[in-house]
Amino acid sequence: MCQVDEEYSGHLERRSVPGVSKTCVKCKESTAVLIIRLGDAFCRSCFKEYFVHKFRAMLGKNRVIFPGEKVLLAVSGGPASSSMLAQVQEGLSRDAPKKLRFVPGIIYIDEGGACGQSAEEREKAVALLENILRKTGFPYYIVPLEQVFGLPDSVLESVSCSPEGSGLSYKAAVVQYIQQNEVKQRHSESAGEEAQDAMARLSVHSQYGPEHRQALERLFSSLKTLTAKEDMLQTLRQHLILHTARVSGYSKVMMGDSCTRLSIKLLSNISLGRGAALAADTGFSDPRYGDVVIVRPMRDYSSKEIAFYNRLFGVQSVFIPGLDTKVPDKASIQRLTESFIIKLQADFPSTVSTIYRTSEKLHTACPPLNSSAEPAVKCLLCLCALDTKADEASAFQAILLSERLSVGKAQSDPPSSTTAGSPGQSCCQESGCGAGGCCSTSRASADLKSLLCYSCRLTMKDMTAVDSLPQYITLEAEKRQRRAQMKQEISEFLLEDADDDQE
Amino acid sequence: MAAPLAVHLEFGGGAELLFDGVKDHHVTLPGQSDPWDMKQLLAWIRGNLLKERPELFVQGDTVRPGILVLINDADWELMGELEYQLQDKDNIVFISTLHGG
Amino acid sequence: MPVQCSSCALSRAVLKRPKTGHSLCKACFFWAFEEEVHHTVVSGRLFSRGETVGIGASGGKDSTVLAHVMKVLNERHDYGLKLLLLSVDEGITGYRDDSLETVRRNQQQYDLPLKIVSYQELYGWTMDAIVKQVGLKNNCTFCGVFRRQALDRGAVMLNVDKICTGHNADDVAETVLMNVLRGDIARLRRCTAISTASDGEGAIPRCKPLKYAYEKEIVLYAYFKKLDYFSTECIYSPNAYRGHARAFLKDLEAVRPSAIMDVIHSGENLSVKEGVKMPVQGTCTRCGYISSQALCKSCVLLEGLNRGLPKLGIGKHHRLHGKILAQQPLTQEEEKKLKAVDF
Repeated sequence: MCQVDEEYSGHLERRSVPGVSKTCVKCKESTAVLIIRLGDAFCRSCFKEYFVHKFRAMLGKNRVIFPGEKVLLAVSGGPASSSMLAQVQEGLSRDAPKKLRFVPGIIYIDEGGACGQSAEEREKAVALLENILRKTGFPYYIVPLEQVFGLPDSVLESVSCSPEGSGLSYKAAVVQYIQQNEVKQRHSESAGEEAQDAMARLSVHSQYGPEHRQALERLFSSLKTLTAKEDMLQTLRQHLILHTARVSGYSKVMMGDSCTRLSIKLLSNISLGRGAALAADTGFSDPRYGDVVIVRPMRDYSSKEIAFYNRLFGVQSVFIPGLDTKVPDKASIQRLTESFIIKLQADFPSTVSTIYRTSEKLHTACPPLNSSAEPAVKCLLCLCALDTKADEASAFQAILLSERLSVGKAQSDPPSSTTAGSPGQSCCQESGCGAGGCCSTSRASADLKSLLCYSCRLTMKDMTAVDSLPQYITLEAEKRQRRAQMKQEISEFLLEDADDDQE
Repeated sequence: MAAPLAVHLEFGGGAELLFDGVKDHHVTLPGQSDPWDMKQLLAWIRGNLLKERPELFVQGDTVRPGILVLINDADWELMGELEYQLQDKDNIVFISTLHGG
Repeated sequence: MPVQCSSCALSRAVLKRPKTGHSLCKACFFWAFEEEVHHTVVSGRLFSRGETVGIGASGGKDSTVLAHVMKVLNERHDYGLKLLLLSVDEGITGYRDDSLETVRRNQQQYDLPLKIVSYQELYGWTMDAIVKQVGLKNNCTFCGVFRRQALDRGAVMLNVDKICTGHNADDVAETVLMNVLRGDIARLRRCTAISTASDGEGAIPRCKPLKYAYEKEIVLYAYFKKLDYFSTECIYSPNAYRGHARAFLKDLEAVRPSAIMDVIHSGENLSVKEGVKMPVQGTCTRCGYISSQALCKSCVLLEGLNRGLPKLGIGKHHRLHGKILAQQPLTQEEEKKLKAVDF
C-alpha cells in the first residue's frame, strides 16, 4: 500500500550548495567566520553580541528566575553547559541595568562509575573540571553518582507544584531585591564572598565508599540494554541534582540543553514512549518537582553556535567519556535518534529548528495550583504524571491484551474483577515464572511496575535484578504500595458500610 | 608538482578519542601533482591518522554529520568545504558536537 | 532446540512477537492476531450493527489481511455488518492494473461485493498522465490527495456508512514521527485517532482496525494463511522525506521491538498548548468536500493540472484561490512561478 496518504507540501528545503560568501550579514563590513541558521554569515564580533544577547533575552522573556534567587547550574563539562556557565559569568559581571541578579552555584555529577571508568580516569576528569569551576568563584558541588545509594526516600515524595513566593509577581520581586541589596551593600561587601569561599571548600570533598561503587556497578550491569542504561543514568542524575538543590536551598536548576540536544531528546523521548512528559522534558521550564524548577536557558542555541562560541572566545570545556562514547549508531534508541537527526539536519538544515518549534507548542501537564483536588499520581522514577490510566482503546491496553493473549489460556483469564495493569495480575506474565506461583523478583518487579509511567516500565523491563535499585527507590515504592493498600481497604470498608445502610 | 604542506590538525569534543586521545597533530602532507584539497585530506586522515572506527569520523567522502570543521578558525562552509585547497601552515579543527564525542 | 509456543505450550513457535517478545505457534498466533483486531474494533467502537462498511482494498498485504480478518470477525463475533470492497484505480500501468487483478480475486475468495472507482472517471486524469506533466517530484502529493477523495466518492456511490483502511501500527507510528519532523502540530494531534469523526457532509467516517497490528505480523499472517496479495512497490518512487521516517522507524524497531507501539503511545498522550492555532474545517466551495481552505486540495491540484500550472497545489498559494474561484486570469509572473517544474 502506498504510504503517501496525506499531502506533504514541499517546504522542507534541501540544503543548498555551499556558497563562499564572506561578509557578515549584520554589520555588512567584517569578514564572516561562520554560518548559522539557514545560511546567515556572521563575523566574530557580531556573533558574540548575538550570542550574549540571546542568553539574556531567553531569561528576560521567560521571567522565571527571580532576583536574589539561588540557581544551581548543572555542568557536565561538555560544551553546552560550559558555555552556559560562561554566559552566567558574563551576565553577572555586567553593569547594573544589564546585570543578572541571581545567585549561582554549580553542580557536577561524576558518572564515571556507571560508565566503566577507572578511579584514576575519574580523578583526572574531576581535577580538570574543578580547575574550571574554581576559577568562577561560585560555590560548587562535585557529586559522584554513587551517592544515590545514600539518598533519602523523601527525594521521590510529591511536592506541591506551587513553590513558596510564587504569589509574588516578578516585578514586585525585582523591586524588593533592589531595595534589600542597597541595604546589604551599606553593611559589608566582603561578608558574602567569605561565606562563598567557605561553602566551596565544604562541598569539594564528596566521597563514595567501595560498597556503593559495587552497588552502582551491579545496578548498571543488571540493565540489559544501553537504551535502559542511558535512561536510568538520566533518572538517577536528576534525583541527585534535585536532592542537592533542595538541601542547599536552590529553587532553580539550569540545564545546558541546546536546541540541537533538545530536538534529539524530543524525538528520542517519543520513541521511548514518553510522549505524555514531552513538554516537561523539553520545555524552557520543567515544574515536575514542584519546589525546584528546572530551566533550560540554552535551548535557543544550536550545538554549532555553541561549539563556535567556545572556540572563538576561549570557553573551556572538558570532554568526559560517557555511556555512549564510541558506540555504533544503533547501540541505543537515544544514540540512533541522535545520528538520525544530525544526518537529516545535514541534508535539510531546518530539521532541528522545526522539531524544536514543535516542543514549544506542547503543553506541560502540571496539577492546578492550590487546588483541593488530589495531585496527579506521579511516576516513581521520573516523577511525571502517570500515563497508564488510558482508556480501553489505546496502545497501552492493546499491549496488555497482546501479553494476555500470548500466554496460556489458563493464565490469561484474570481471577476475578482485577483491572488490567494492576499489580499481581501481570505478575505471571513475566517470563521464567513457573505454573506453581510467582517467584519473588517477578513479584517485586510487577509491584514496582504499577508505580511507573509507560516509559519507565520499559526501562524496568530491561532490568534483570530489580533489587539492585537504590534503597530510596524501593523504600518509597513500598511506602506507596502500603498507602494504596490502605486506601483500598478503607474504600472497601466504606463500601460495605454503604451496603449495610441500604439494607 | 606541488611542494609538501605542513598543516596543524586539531581534534576536539571527543573526536580526539579516535586518534588515541591526541588532540594536536602537526603533520606534513607529501608533495603531489595536484594541490591538496579537504577531500584528499580526509582520505589521508582516514588512511594515516585514524586509529579506530573510521565510520565515527568519516562517512562517504566527507566528515560524519555532527562534526564541525574550522579552517583557520572560520567555518568551512565559508571556505568551500571539500573543495577548499589547503595552504602551507593551515590550521584545521574538527570538533564533534555529538553526545558521546 | 525449537522454541515452544508460549501460549499452548504444545506446538512449535513460528514467530516471535515484536510487541511483547512472546513466541507463538501458528494456531495461537492466528487467534491472538484476530482477537486483538477484535479488541481494537470493540474498544474503539468502530462500527454499529447493521452498518455497511467499505474496506479500502488495494490488493496489497495490509488491505488483503484487513478484508480477511474483517470477514472472519464479522462472522465469529456477529458484528452484523455488510462488508464490501472499495478500490481506487489510479491509472498506473504495470502497478495498479496488476494489483486490481488481485482485488478481483479477493472478491471471489471472500465473496464480497467490489466497487472500483478510477481517477480517470473522477478527475479526467490518470496518474500516468499526471506524471507525464508534473514529473516524479510531487506526483505522490497528487496521488495521495486524489485517493483520499476517490475513496469517499466511491463510498457515497455505494451508500457506505463507514470506510476502514489497512493502516497498520508501523504506518501510524511513522506518521507520528513524520509530523514531528515537519512540525505539524495539528496533524500530530489527529494522526493517532483511530477513527475520523463524521462531521456532517463531505467525508465518510474512516477507521483503522489494524492500528495496533505490526507490519511484521501482518506479513506473517498473510504468509501463513496463504492469502493472495500483490507485493510490488509503486513504480513512481515514494516521497524521499517520508522514506527517512520509515527507515528510522525500522531502525528503532531493530533496537527495541516495542518501539513502534511506544511511538503510538507517545502520540496518543501528547497534549498541545491552548492557543496553538488549529485549522478550522469547512467545506470546499467548488466540490463541497471537507477543506480548511476555500478550495479543497484536490480542486486546487486539478485546477493546476488543467491550466498546465502543476505547482499550483504544491506549497502555499492560498492567495491565489480567490482568483481561481472567480475564474480570473493569473498574472504572467504568477504563471511563471507555477509552471517551472524541475525533473
